[in-house]
Amino acid sequence: MPQQQPQITNNGSPVGLDVGTSRIVTAHRVDNEFQYQTQLNAFVNLPYSKMTENVLSKERVLHSVQGSNIVVHGTESERFADLLRVETRRPMSRGVLNPDEPQSLNQIQKIIESLAGPARAKGQKLYFTVPAAAAGADDSLTYHEASLRQILTDFGYDVHSINEGLAVVYAELESTNFTGIGVSCGGGLCNVCLSYLSVPVLSFSMNKGGDFIDSSAAGATGDLINRIRITKEDTFHFNGHFADKTLQALSVYYEDMIQALVGSMKEAFLSAKSLPKLARPIPLVLSGGTTMPKGFRGRFEKALLASDFPIALSEVRLAKNPLESTAKGALVAALSEI
Amino acid sequence: MALSGKLRNLQPERYVDWRAKRISDPIDKLQYLRRGMKDRNPPVRRPVWKRLSLGAFVIVAVSILLPAPSHRQMLPETTQKPSPETYSNIWLVEESDREQVFSNGLRIDKRFSVPNRPRSYQALDRKHGMTPSPDWRSQPAGIVFHTTESALAPFEAEKNGALKRISQILIASLRDNRSYHFLIDRFGRVFRLVEETSAANHAGNSIWADQNWAYLNLNSSFLGISFEAQTNPGEPVPTINTAQIHAGRILTEMLRSKYRIPGENCVTHAQVSVNPSNMRIGYHTDWARGFPFAALGLDNNYGLPLPSLSDFGFQYDDIFRQAIGPDLWKGIPRAESQRELEAASHHRTIAGQRRFLQERYRKLYPAFKLTGAIEETTDATTTTTNNQ
Repeated sequence: MPQQQPQITNNGSPVGLDVGTSRIVTAHRVDNEFQYQTQLNAFVNLPYSKMTENVLSKERVLHSVQGSNIVVHGTESERFADLLRVETRRPMSRGVLNPDEPQSLNQIQKIIESLAGPARAKGQKLYFTVPAAAAGADDSLTYHEASLRQILTDFGYDVHSINEGLAVVYAELESTNFTGIGVSCGGGLCNVCLSYLSVPVLSFSMNKGGDFIDSSAAGATGDLINRIRITKEDTFHFNGHFADKTLQALSVYYEDMIQALVGSMKEAFLSAKSLPKLARPIPLVLSGGTTMPKGFRGRFEKALLASDFPIALSEVRLAKNPLESTAKGALVAALSEI
Repeated sequence: MALSGKLRNLQPERYVDWRAKRISDPIDKLQYLRRGMKDRNPPVRRPVWKRLSLGAFVIVAVSILLPAPSHRQMLPETTQKPSPETYSNIWLVEESDREQVFSNGLRIDKRFSVPNRPRSYQALDRKHGMTPSPDWRSQPAGIVFHTTESALAPFEAEKNGALKRISQILIASLRDNRSYHFLIDRFGRVFRLVEETSAANHAGNSIWADQNWAYLNLNSSFLGISFEAQTNPGEPVPTINTAQIHAGRILTEMLRSKYRIPGENCVTHAQVSVNPSNMRIGYHTDWARGFPFAALGLDNNYGLPLPSLSDFGFQYDDIFRQAIGPDLWKGIPRAESQRELEAASHHRTIAGQRRFLQERYRKLYPAFKLTGAIEETTDATTTTTNNQ
């Protein structure tokens, strides 16, 4: 059964939007409940035929006709790509707009339109997530952020951006007055933010995420990246002894990613010129689709302990809803705007 | 000074942290933190030697460079919006013909409760030139604390009969005059004298304001709580005992929870009382000083700027200064500073600004009376001193 086009719950109240390499998620608050909608940030082209278009329309699959092609956007694109044995096309890579994808802005616009729609009220606030600059790298995020801002402004929103790691803190660390470390491991990047009483003190990104694991494992096994991704999300877990070559490859590259993340965190915190004077150990929250496999938290914590990490931590835990916490944090920021 | 005030002065971040922990709603908490930490750098870890040398440098630099503090420099503190309110979750546990019992331990004796004219009032929009609110309101916006200033017997076991008799006489008298909504007697018993849905004659000519709304004559808009207490001649502060303080605390907690009353609207009679005939504040001076705000779970509201001064051009005189003692409420210079700033922004002299504000009051007051938004001045409380 194909996923139907989502029903937009935009009620004119503030919106949280997580524009991730892998997924785009919106968060709304309806009757004091947080509600989320998700689409894969991907698309696939099908050759046009009237019959195909009729079927897609009947099944309410998110699509558009572009010349001699039908473009299937969002979550359903993965299923069609798997059926046709082709790769999905990705509007974003490594956390920002994909420079090799000419359709990137157009496709993101379509997906956001399907999730949030245009603003329902004048001045409706929308907070969208942006990655931090890579550790030790010059800021190259201006184009990405400005492009998304333009799309969202055209939809009529009062647009603000929020760092991805900080959004995790806002979603998860209310109990410590938003003091702690938020880590968001998505498709393209891992974003890290140390927040002190809601103020982002240190944030950076590390350019290994789910896509790195998928493409590396695909290179090692000869499988399609898309197929690797489906296996990773459906089957993979830590602490297993794998006879399956794909799972084994995934395990190797996951370990690589964790070590790289812990290494860059340690380096960033050690080299920071001024860290806040913390009165007590602080929590670290892991979020994002890449943290979902069973056993990830334990493996990450073990690597962190082995690294002699310079900040005292009270706990390392997974976000309550790892796929949605970033969008939730963006919404919390919008609701609490001063 | 309340604990919160001490913390705020010593370590701003720690105060913000402490205060935020008391906010239960995550959105309100984040809003408070973002506001509280705005333009503030987190305290930074530094080696001890660096801290010492920096500290010495700061002391010298500050003493050389900074001029003496003026009222205006204190102003930013007062112009901040109040922090998001936290309210306890309190409910009615059981009710009989005789009393109500609440989940925080509060017991209200309701045997003497009588109705009065229904509560109905308009507030004034401070941000839009004091235009009256379009809606007529029936929920209380605040609480005014009073003392009965009635005769007291020594608080001793041997005088138990006399203490009880005095309470009974007082209850009957205050109820007949619809003087207060609640009385807390010397045993810490809480009596409802006037129904909460009614106005009581507790505040007379009076003014208060929160961030958004100003209120004239608070009989209708505020609840009145009176402590059975007296300010003895020569003694600066009326004495209330621990039973009364405890009762005051849980009664205030229940009322704030029930009506979502912000802390800034919980004030003493002396803070709100005015005399329009001579445009002076402090016509009544009960709780002119020494009100135990902290013990009642409130911030020290003596520090809030007086809207009677800042918004309506009232003044104070030496008699009032005597009543409040040598330590002038911080709210008074703050209100005066606000008035000065306002005058400067409108290119008026201070005297000109005061005349403008007084004229505004003189126009509003009869207009409000004509529409019935405030009742004819009714004040059935006991007058202590006045400055007419």
